[in-house]
Amino acid sequence: MRLEIGAFHVKDIKFGDKTAYANGILTLDKEDLLKVVHEDEHITTADLKIVHPGDNIILCPVKEAVEMRCKVSGGHGVFPGVLSEMEIAGSGRTHCLQDCSLIVVGEHAGGFQDGVIAMGGKYQHHTIFGDMPNLVLVADTDEEFERHEQQKKNHALRWAGMRLAEYIGQCVKDLEPENIEVYDLPAIPDRSDDVKKLPGVLYVLQPQTQMETMGYNTLIYGWDGNHILPTLMHPNELLDGCMVSGSFMPTSSKISTYEFAVNPMIKKLYEQHGKTINFLGVLMSTLNVKMDEKVRCVKMAGQIATSLGAKAAVVVEEGYGNPDVDYTAMLVELEKLGIKTIGLSDECTGRDGASQPLVSMNPATDALVTTGNVSQMYEFPAGMEVIGELEALARDGNSGGWEGCIRPDGSFVMENNGMFCANHISGWSKRTCADF
Amino acid sequence: MKAIHYINQFFAGIGGEDKADQTPIFHDKLIGNSNLLNGMMPDIEVTNTIVCGDNYITNHTDEALKEIFAWLDTKEFDIFFAGPAFMAGRYGVGCGIMCKAVSERYHVPVITSMNEENPGVEEYKAVAYIFKGGRKATFMKADLTPMAAFAEKIAKGEELLPAAQEGYFPRGIRAEIPQPDGIIAADRVIDMLLKKLNGEPFQTELIIPKMEKIPPAAPVLDLSKATIALVSSSGVVPIDNPDRIQSASAQKWGKYDISKLDNLPPEQFKTIHAGFDPAAMCAVPDRGIPVDAMRYFEKQGKIGKLHDWFYTTVGTGTTQAFAAKFGKEIAQELHDAKVDAVVLTST
Repeated sequence: MRLEIGAFHVKDIKFGDKTAYANGILTLDKEDLLKVVHEDEHITTADLKIVHPGDNIILCPVKEAVEMRCKVSGGHGVFPGVLSEMEIAGSGRTHCLQDCSLIVVGEHAGGFQDGVIAMGGKYQHHTIFGDMPNLVLVADTDEEFERHEQQKKNHALRWAGMRLAEYIGQCVKDLEPENIEVYDLPAIPDRSDDVKKLPGVLYVLQPQTQMETMGYNTLIYGWDGNHILPTLMHPNELLDGCMVSGSFMPTSSKISTYEFAVNPMIKKLYEQHGKTINFLGVLMSTLNVKMDEKVRCVKMAGQIATSLGAKAAVVVEEGYGNPDVDYTAMLVELEKLGIKTIGLSDECTGRDGASQPLVSMNPATDALVTTGNVSQMYEFPAGMEVIGELEALARDGNSGGWEGCIRPDGSFVMENNGMFCANHISGWSKRTCADF
Repeated sequence: MKAIHYINQFFAGIGGEDKADQTPIFHDKLIGNSNLLNGMMPDIEVTNTIVCGDNYITNHTDEALKEIFAWLDTKEFDIFFAGPAFMAGRYGVGCGIMCKAVSERYHVPVITSMNEENPGVEEYKAVAYIFKGGRKATFMKADLTPMAAFAEKIAKGEELLPAAQEGYFPRGIRAEIPQPDGIIAADRVIDMLLKKLNGEPFQTELIIPKMEKIPPAAPVLDLSKATIALVSSSGVVPIDNPDRIQSASAQKWGKYDISKLDNLPPEQFKTIHAGFDPAAMCAVPDRGIPVDAMRYFEKQGKIGKLHDWFYTTVGTGTTQAFAAKFGKEIAQELHDAKVDAVVLTST
């Protein structure tokens, strides 16, 4: 499978008369774009804003982040099985407006799964989104059934984000990319002997799929991940948009739709392919709540890895707490099968730092990379401009906020838990944990 | 800032083993290695030296602490030092006792130093900054140096680095830090992956402690003759929680008499566990500690006897170290009481 990512490196985003891209500047026709947002009648109010690295701005409650892209050839849409017909992603040409993102923010209501992004100040670099210009869609919906629910599907807002990202992406469809990234990974038996001699490595992904009620979990081609068993996938499928981030669980341990596609871990494994490793592909697994489901997935994943002759695996857990059981079980199972594992996830050490960092621990997991600590406390000063509604952090059951976490002067304190996708389990995190 | 320094009879020049029962002595002038320590810290003045015999502090802890507190209460100090204790086991424990007590009573940073083989390390590393020290007194200057440097950082309000960089034994506390070289996680994964594949040494970012494997006890052959005890982490306690067991991160356990009870009435018992909605268990405390079911089996003759006491603590947030300590203490009592088996209920 061969995928070409045609890159357009966005240096700035501006509003103008016509949506177009030229010389690093993405110009957007706000009025026209809002029409696309309002295609869904459930969107009641909407506005677009542009934020830049270093702005003294907080976004809250953030629901989603997406890369603006368009499919040029080899498919019909950038979210197959979701916004366009079901077809396998990962072939042909996709044009991407890189180094920027589209962020979806609730105008008022937040929830457990939503988050905070800081564009400036001490926590600007805690998310990759603080380091890039972003188009921000701020909107409200008539989804009254969940307005006061702690867990929100955020369907209208998330889908509006995807629709808008694909619509804007069309502006570079006919342009010549500034550079082309090529992701070409032949079928496993068709690889050269030199490549086959290298140790086979799998990217084992455990996306967040624990919600039993549909509409909240990470989607794979629009299919609720709760309903899959471990499946072998091609890395290009992820790079080309087969995954849509869920709307469930504390946000700092989530992988945004942006990151599922612009996936640094897959790109780094690609870089090593043919040099030090034989990148076998993606083993898509799940996270479950019931023990027998956890065991079934782990055992079946182990069998697939063994049949593929994998010598090593990078196991990635989108979540913490209960899913640590699946994470450790997957690592232990693969190690038992003689497959060397590296784990990639975050920790929960408690407010005093003294809690067991993973719910389930096993000495067989001897190579773990830690991307952050969901319990870490962050202090924000007063006086930052807010896009959305900061009160959502305190009022709406956000996983990193609580009643009273915002002080009368506007300064506030929160747990890492509530910072949007901040632990970057996709692989971007520049943070770790240490013993004190 | 001001500091007070604790040393034992040997380093005070009083004597060795024969003087280990020395009661506390309080010096207004620095003695022994306190002078060396004081000279290393431009921003901290060591004002006093406390001396106590190793046997006295370890065998008569309550008396020793009472005397020392009475004196310390009259002093002003911001930091407390003890040792270094090197490999000396009782001195290490003495330093640990002092550090723990001073930290709890005065809430000041407590700093000591021991060799990794000193038993004081395992027992007190969670409650004090115990710096990694040499095996014997020839390391005096080398061991005092990082203690002094660390205290200086505290005095200047400088950022305190992780245990490995500062040189003390980890206290069981983990926190988030910027990756020291600013390397993204995906690159760290690749680095670890290639090293692991090549059989080269690599450093995990989260060390999973080796767990102690306890062999299971032999099966109970005849239940109808066995005495069974109820032990629980459900947090069910008498309604006034007489032992003040914590609702989370418990540091103690309790045992309560059920010899005259056929169940746990909600007027007399409740759960103090903070890790779940307590309504159902408070309504029927036997849901946490099933005295009712055990009495039923006892009457049926299925079990010989329900032990007269149940043992209880709270599981949520409780550290492995405390859980292991509780386990050992409770197991010893049950063993002494000739209990044959335990039903351990959790939540």
